[in-house]
Amino acid sequence: MDLKPFAPAPTRVSQYGVDPSTISKRAAELEGITGLGLSQLIGGQPETIYPSDEGIKAVRDATIKTLEGVDFSKITNGSTVNILASHHGFTFMGGEPYSEMLRTIKDVVERETGAKEIRLRAGLGMRFRETEEYIKAFGLDEYFNGKAVGMAPIDAGVAIETKLGTLYGLKRAYDADFIIHAHNSDVREVHFHRQVDRAVKPFGMSYARCETRSTYHMNLGPRAANFVARSIFESEFVQEKFAFACFLVMSPAGAIDVDADNNLYALNDRVTAGGMKHYGKIIELMGAIKDCIVVLDFPCPVPYVFACGVIYANMVSANIDVFDLDSPLPPYTWYTETFYDHTGRPLLPEIPEINPAIKTVVHNYAWIGYPAVFFAEHTPTIMVGAEQAELFNRDPMNLNYMKHALLSDNLDSAIAFARKTSGTDKIMIFDGASGGLNVSQSLAEDLLRIAPSVCSRVDQVLLPKWLSQRNVDPDLLKMVA
Amino acid sequence: MKIVKVQAEVDQSRCDGCKTCERVCPVYAVSVKRVDKKPVVNIDLDICVGCWNCEQRCPEYAIQMVSCTPFTLSVNVNDFDYGEIEALCRKAHVHPKQLVCYCTATRAEEVAAAVIGGADSPDKVVRACGVGAGCGIECNQPILRFLEAAGCSFERKKNSYQWYGRTVTAWEVSQEVKDAHPAFRFDDDKDLLERIVNAPIQDRNK
Repeated sequence: MDLKPFAPAPTRVSQYGVDPSTISKRAAELEGITGLGLSQLIGGQPETIYPSDEGIKAVRDATIKTLEGVDFSKITNGSTVNILASHHGFTFMGGEPYSEMLRTIKDVVERETGAKEIRLRAGLGMRFRETEEYIKAFGLDEYFNGKAVGMAPIDAGVAIETKLGTLYGLKRAYDADFIIHAHNSDVREVHFHRQVDRAVKPFGMSYARCETRSTYHMNLGPRAANFVARSIFESEFVQEKFAFACFLVMSPAGAIDVDADNNLYALNDRVTAGGMKHYGKIIELMGAIKDCIVVLDFPCPVPYVFACGVIYANMVSANIDVFDLDSPLPPYTWYTETFYDHTGRPLLPEIPEINPAIKTVVHNYAWIGYPAVFFAEHTPTIMVGAEQAELFNRDPMNLNYMKHALLSDNLDSAIAFARKTSGTDKIMIFDGASGGLNVSQSLAEDLLRIAPSVCSRVDQVLLPKWLSQRNVDPDLLKMVA
Repeated sequence: MKIVKVQAEVDQSRCDGCKTCERVCPVYAVSVKRVDKKPVVNIDLDICVGCWNCEQRCPEYAIQMVSCTPFTLSVNVNDFDYGEIEALCRKAHVHPKQLVCYCTATRAEEVAAAVIGGADSPDKVVRACGVGAGCGIECNQPILRFLEAAGCSFERKKNSYQWYGRTVTAWEVSQEVKDAHPAFRFDDDKDLLERIVNAPIQDRNK
């Protein structure tokens, strides 16, 4: 097996990453790396609208088509409207598909309702200028007539009365007559949301103040926390403003559709079923790997680097079934992270360990702006490049990262050392390559061998169980692409 | 505990006087005044904890973080009665040895010691032990839970965008919500948190 590697996602200029010119080599250029197509591994993958031969037009067409089924009657020509977006959407396939969906929503709402005051409010995680960077990069400020802004969790808040008591949203998210929830269906943070109310989550996160986010990650527990978003969404305050939701529907291969609905819970059921159907197999497959070296090589913080639509944090937790709600804790969540004591021991014996298959992590390219020390503490880590190490040393969220990581001045040396010390030649690269995985030949052979049994188990055993735990009708699987 | 390596520095010529920096500072180190009709930003470097909030939110990009002589924000737990620390932690529903701040690796016992030592408002807690001087998001509620457990009440600074208030915990979710939404497994998760809170402390001084 010696197939040409897939092109990795390009580096990106950002204040949260090193100057791309300092990345002297991408992991896909390493000797012996092979491109393993998703369709070779997992059959029955849906066709993508992006990437596709039609280019970005396919996203616009799909958005227009799905919005034909939406009722706009709440919005009138004098209404103010906020289209609420989130940073993660811009990390798919360079960001253009999500940007195009946002532009198209604006155009359609303007045309259908006559509303002129349509703004883009883009929420974010912990990198408070990240969406500003995307807004500039995709010309969204001009497109929205100077009314596109990023929102950070420390910006002005608004109290929202909910079934859980007072929680806090971002004032700028809600400073319009109506809101449109413009998101994506990628499973991404399944270690946090557990595919429970996936479509609702931004109401407790991207559109919420730090008090609410802290409630989610610290106050309620790993599964109960997902009710935070639901309680905000169901509040009278939000219900009065909510117009509809529009989602870029994702699969590990790319965007497969755009889906919109006035009923967020109907959309949520489709997102829940589709996410488990499309991502369950690749995540389970990663969990079946026995040993490997992981290379981080994507313009995102450590847990968010992608391989075949799956983020590194998913691999870290892939030694348990993260979709199984009977397991309270994945090996990585912010609850789990707090449950280790000062000696590094878990406070309870049942705290699951980090995926032991990850023998070493080579950090070739990943951003700051997310507390990632936990990963370096639990898995041997080699940082490539002094510039990147210094970036982490200055980051208030990663002051201790390099205390646990070795430093190498180039990727080849880091990989050679990782191979020697970890005793494996298997390499898994998280580089955002579209269409498949970039892996070592040895790992490609392993994956091809185990894939059929893993896929069969997901179809026959796991998927029915996951759906049942969430009270989602299995017939929905036929409806989702 | 946090080692502060950078602090904020302002380019006065770029400031338009919007006061965002003042409002997002978790420790009230920044003040903006008008002098001869021009905005003047004062950053008190004796207070600044190097969290980057002001730099990240300034719409005019007028603030930079610059290297400083490193200094440490920390409270020595051994200076306090550990029984008192432990009791306050359990009352706040946290284990003394668990992390409460991912960014600075601050553990609950140190936050408790800061509060027992006299930090009676969230900004003082941050300045005492560095908790909350990283992302400034996730440890927000534990800080407020500690203050409430210690009986400290504080008034939110007018016009600030900080410390809006304590929110619900697993111990306060209504039975009505639990009964209506069993899929969220409120009681199972509360039991898990309870077991964490009550887990034994091993090798306390290691």
